[in-house]
Amino acid sequence: MSTLEYFEVESTEPVGGKLYRRIASTVITDHNLLKVLDKLRIFIDPEVPIFIAVGITRTVPRIITVSDLAGVTFDGQKITLSIADETHLADLLQILWAQYGKDQVHQPDRFTIEIQTTDEAALSRIEELAVADPTEGLYKDLIYSMQLICPEGFKIKKQNYQDGKFWFVAGENTLPEDVSPLVEKQLHIMEASS
Amino acid sequence: MILVPITYKGGVFRHDEILDLIEDMGGYIIQKHMIAQEVVLQALIPKEDIETLRVISRPLAGEVIPAPLVGTEIAVVSMSLEIHHLPHASCDIAEYLRTAGAKTNMVGLARGFGKRIGLMSDEERDIINEHDLAIYLFGNFETCIKQKMPTFRRGIRVPIIVTSGFSKEALMKIIDPPAAGYVGGVGRFMHRTKEPEELARLDEIVAEVSRVVDQKRATIAKDPLSVAPARLMDIILETVPDIHEVTSPIPVVVQTDGVRVKLPYDPYARKIRDIEVEPGIRLADICDFRPSRMRDYILMKVKPFSETGMLV
Repeated sequence: MSTLEYFEVESTEPVGGKLYRRIASTVITDHNLLKVLDKLRIFIDPEVPIFIAVGITRTVPRIITVSDLAGVTFDGQKITLSIADETHLADLLQILWAQYGKDQVHQPDRFTIEIQTTDEAALSRIEELAVADPTEGLYKDLIYSMQLICPEGFKIKKQNYQDGKFWFVAGENTLPEDVSPLVEKQLHIMEASS
Repeated sequence: MILVPITYKGGVFRHDEILDLIEDMGGYIIQKHMIAQEVVLQALIPKEDIETLRVISRPLAGEVIPAPLVGTEIAVVSMSLEIHHLPHASCDIAEYLRTAGAKTNMVGLARGFGKRIGLMSDEERDIINEHDLAIYLFGNFETCIKQKMPTFRRGIRVPIIVTSGFSKEALMKIIDPPAAGYVGGVGRFMHRTKEPEELARLDEIVAEVSRVVDQKRATIAKDPLSVAPARLMDIILETVPDIHEVTSPIPVVVQTDGVRVKLPYDPYARKIRDIEVEPGIRLADICDFRPSRMRDYILMKVKPFSETGMLV
């Protein structure tokens, strides 16, 4: 866990806290979150019972556009996309089909897409077309891993992710309407000690 | 004749001689595994014949290892079958106990998680009670275990061994009245047990289970069973041909005080009940027959000598 700038798991039961630190580090490594997490603080009080996780993510990758994954050329009749990275190809095809219709979009081979059009202005539009948003998956991954770390009986959850800051609160009993004082306290401790 | 549990590991070549030898000694083969070129036998053999088996199996590169848990069926009770407990720690522990010869069944509770919300249904309780012993795999917080333990021991008649992330001493302190055994340092974790100290903990579980099983065996020895469960298994395998059609790896599971027969109760229980073990003695005279809560198997518990006045 050397790449995290701040990583702390605190509990009212020190032995349990130590064991949960190991669990948290295993889960974060297993889910490849080391690169995106900058700071993470977890607080568990089994007496209440409550689990609070707060953290800060690193600068997340920007939105992926067509120009990131393909070379785009125009020959007067059609726009040709030469795919370099297949990862988001399925998403891209869905978007192109929706915009131009299936009859205008051809895929003669695995790495080529042709769009029948005579409009040259479409070239730059396609280049800037957003294909995928990595933050969407990141948020899901983060919250999922927090659910894994959290003791299993803690079925009532609240979570939030905004501007690179996230929090996750879970408990066995009904959570207070406003959990922000709990979260603020942990964020404060995290910021004060790092 | 005192039968001792052993594991035999050897090659496939001429292993039928070993099978015959164990049978001739008056021993019982509880389980036979063929893994590629290797044969693993879980067996009960007479104490004085272990050396003979060692000597005879030496040219066949066979190995005889004492396996304290052969002939026991153990319930490994996990608080749920979710990713929080699987495959580590539940599977790691269940698997390790199998290397010691035990037949382990994993019982994943439907609503076992949580401190206040943890519950156990009557079906789960009955299934646990059909085993020789139950291991409760608890988590890492004392507060939770202290609060949920009374719910989980209600109605359980078999010895319970409790494991948790913190120390054995702390565990002994919070559980009242005491459980049959405790193992500390094995709570909730999400990595594979491969470090030496983790393996040592698993060994500790085997030792604790063996200790409790031995206590149970000693209690049984004071009022011996009318028939040895291993012999009962042999009788069923010999007299009920349909048992060989069962696809389970172990069609007749041997427990310390009975057997579980993996045949449907309704069509077969009557037939098995009427089997004559010796002239004039039917199985119904020396065993209790119950439908098992596990599928529709037959559970047979052998009556003690004091009740039947017979020793087969």
